Amino acid sequence: MAMMAAMQRSLKTTIAVAKHRARFSSLRPSAAAAADTLVPPPRLPPFDHQPAPYNGPSADEVYAKRRTFLGPSVFHYYQKPLNIVEGKMQYLYDDSGRRYLDAFAGIVTVSCGHCHPEILNAITEQSKLLQHATTIYLHHAIGDFAEALASKMPGNLKVVYFVNSGSEANELAMMMARLYTGNLGMISLRNAYHGGSSNTLGLTGINTWKYPIPEGHVHHVMNPDPYRGAFGADAARYANDVQEHIDYGTSGKVAGFIAESIQGVGGAVELAPGYLKLVYDIVHKAGGVCIADEVQTGFGRTGSHYWGFETQGVIPDIVTMAKGIGNGLPLGAVVTTPEIASVMAQKIHFNTFGGNPVCSAGGLAVLRVLDKEKRQAHSADVGSHLLERLRVLQQRHEIIGNVRGRGLMVGVELVTDRKDKTPAKAETAVVFEKLRELGVLMGKGGIHGNVFRIKPPMCFNKDDADFLVDAFDYSLSKL
Amino acid sequence: MTVSLATRLVTRRSPPLHWRRGFARAAVDAETNTVAARELPPFDYSPLPYAGPTADEILAKRKEYLSPSILHLYKNPVNIVEGKRQYLFDENGRRYVDAFGGIATVCCGHCHPDVVEAIVNQTTKLQHSTVLYLNHAIADFAQALASKLPGNLKVVFFTNSGSEANELAMLIARLYTGCHDIISLRNAYHGNAAGTMGATAQSIWKFNVVQSGIHHALNPDPYRGIFGSDGEKYAGDVQDIINFGTSGHVAAFMSEAIQGVGGIVELAPGYLPAVYNTIKKAGGLFIADEVQVGFGRTGSYFWGFEAHNVVPDIVTMAKGIGNGIPLGAVVTTPEIAEVLTHRNYFNTFGGNPVSTAAGLAVLKVIEKEHLQQNAFVVGSYLKERLTALKEKYDLIGDVRGRGLMLGVELVTDRELKIPAKTETLHVMDQMKELGVLIGKGGYYGNVFRITPPLCFTKEDADFVADAMDLTLSRM
Repeated sequence: MAMMAAMQRSLKTTIAVAKHRARFSSLRPSAAAAADTLVPPPRLPPFDHQPAPYNGPSADEVYAKRRTFLGPSVFHYYQKPLNIVEGKMQYLYDDSGRRYLDAFAGIVTVSCGHCHPEILNAITEQSKLLQHATTIYLHHAIGDFAEALASKMPGNLKVVYFVNSGSEANELAMMMARLYTGNLGMISLRNAYHGGSSNTLGLTGINTWKYPIPEGHVHHVMNPDPYRGAFGADAARYANDVQEHIDYGTSGKVAGFIAESIQGVGGAVELAPGYLKLVYDIVHKAGGVCIADEVQTGFGRTGSHYWGFETQGVIPDIVTMAKGIGNGLPLGAVVTTPEIASVMAQKIHFNTFGGNPVCSAGGLAVLRVLDKEKRQAHSADVGSHLLERLRVLQQRHEIIGNVRGRGLMVGVELVTDRKDKTPAKAETAVVFEKLRELGVLMGKGGIHGNVFRIKPPMCFNKDDADFLVDAFDYSLSKL
Repeated sequence: MTVSLATRLVTRRSPPLHWRRGFARAAVDAETNTVAARELPPFDYSPLPYAGPTADEILAKRKEYLSPSILHLYKNPVNIVEGKRQYLFDENGRRYVDAFGGIATVCCGHCHPDVVEAIVNQTTKLQHSTVLYLNHAIADFAQALASKLPGNLKVVFFTNSGSEANELAMLIARLYTGCHDIISLRNAYHGNAAGTMGATAQSIWKFNVVQSGIHHALNPDPYRGIFGSDGEKYAGDVQDIINFGTSGHVAAFMSEAIQGVGGIVELAPGYLPAVYNTIKKAGGLFIADEVQVGFGRTGSYFWGFEAHNVVPDIVTMAKGIGNGIPLGAVVTTPEIAEVLTHRNYFNTFGGNPVSTAAGLAVLKVIEKEHLQQNAFVVGSYLKERLTALKEKYDLIGDVRGRGLMLGVELVTDRELKIPAKTETLHVMDQMKELGVLIGKGGYYGNVFRITPPLCFTKEDADFVADAMDLTLSRM
């Protein structure tokens, strides 16, 4: 049965490829135009849900209010911003009831699916009982969730701090590193994103997100980027840069190193294989601790492993998480060893909302759903299919410079020249819009804004993947 | 009054046997004292039966899996499993008057039906999508919030906590002025992240990490401060800091109108207007931290800063803004907000549909139920009763605050003002036994913080005052 399905899919792909090759080439615009009328755009997979009728403010009204009350720095996707009013699993609905495939999950955040019934239930039930009291009183939800989260961690990583966002988590991790080691220097990667608060702005390594404020003792090392990096996938040479920063830029001792195992905002860049193992060693020898930022890669999204750092075969000293941890609830966490955690006992560190009953109940429900619905294996399965199809697409479209990632954390980089890797920024923007018109909401990233980020809710299935790739194919053909 | 009658009055339905036994204990104790123990004000609600882990089981899990710096109140910590309005229920179904409000956070009342409805309705539609797409919830709430602020304060940034809000405010001020120096008050609390830990000024909250660019000014504390209530004298210290500790130009001055963690310290009258002028001359911005004091809690005004006749440049808020949902906000002028356009600032969860729907519901409830006026009426009444207690007991050194943000400071010597730290802990514990959950603060940990949900009634106020009276009488 599965064999048949696989053969059918393979046949479908072959036919599609053959069809496409036979259709037209980008060098013959008239043929292309003629082909337009022949080839209909791909259609969304069917979905049995009716969105509620929407009677709220229109897109224009909302947009006008935002410009007045949310200030000039708030940005949005699409030239004509999309008014999203409802969500269900891997789909979103706009104010006209139109359905879209959510290939970005509110920035890798809606892990189980929009309004997943089990998560909804956990949230509503707890909201009716007790929303908030703080940890000055006891409540079972925080302990239960911490225990469940710790059980997902390797090594001695079992003390959990609950916060409300990724920035808060990374702030705390950085402070712990400095307190524990007594050293100052922090090392992060160029092209990294770790947050928007004082310390995390320093760790972040992309100028578009960095304001000119003092950072103090942060070293941004060469990014082990297999596609754009100077050393390709040669992890050892990148790791050497870390050693050099330590030897020449610090006292020889550092507080810590932090990295995402697949950079998110930076454009789904997978660190060169073997990199973290080498660097963790270097950092430990310099007295530092190693922090794994799992804000985007965690919770089974990479398919092959539950945590992104596992793909590099390391065990960090501190792990930070947010986004998918609560399927959209404002929740973050820092997990570390009892030894490192003990430094926090020197003073009082308190987070008013952190670990509140509703977010803890929601977080626990997320862990259960991901396990019950085997989302990690599913991400591996759908993700490989997606990557396979995208790679075939890459063979047909010169503009696709790189397809990378694993599981449901995928990036597609567009370039106008495959050799020089010139970022195809304008084309990416055009295709981005076109995809929206076809019903696919993607993410965008990379310092040049030329990388498509495909990181959907993990209930995304193969039909969704096929639709996405077909829509992508269709849009690229129109360029 | 007999035990059984008292019990029937309170519970109105057939309560489980252990409730009655629990209640009987308090009444029997009272018989041995001149001050009688009171029953809680009547409340027509029975909590759901609780079958979850016990207090001991939870404590064990917390010890193993949670931060060692996490503290809890009371020798026998209380396992709070349900909340309704201004009351909390423990694992045995016992009701308590919540005089702390989850740290001035639950402003409308626990599980207020309007707020819960807004949360549930929105959660079932759309929990999260980010501001990359439009959604009316964030816009409607931003507009409603802005309408509560004076002057040109109408651009809103949503965050997830007070720390995040204050961090952002500090960033904005530094970017806008091009200066790094920020002045905050000794005894202040502004947050636990890198920048905000610097602004926070009590050693117990400050870890040994680099916190730069902050100057802590003399606290204009009418009770313990060196200049008593002379606000302008304290303001002179800010001028000194600027003259001698900075380039002469600063990024900002930030303060709470009534210090929360610091022990409900009202800033001496005349202080803020004087400092405002000083800061303006130095090119700095005025940041008002309304995290605890905002949303009508002080009774006489919606915002704490309004009592001091200043219009800040940036206002930060959290806690009460969402009745407990993780939400914070920074409000400023369009002109100041413009600095963030030079780069990208983004907050993934900030402004999500559920939190903003809850925030809007909170504003509506505050208005509909006249919670600000209630805070004024009940708060003044409670302050009167507490002041009367001060006449009665030497242990009470000071009673202060406004509306439902009140503080009672205990001292073992009224002249020397020696903090009565142990006594405070004892009274807190005893009051819990009597059914009142109260807060604690101040640098010495000797100040009771009374910041209940704003639906608190006169009966609740009487209950709290009487419980304090009874406890103090036994000491």
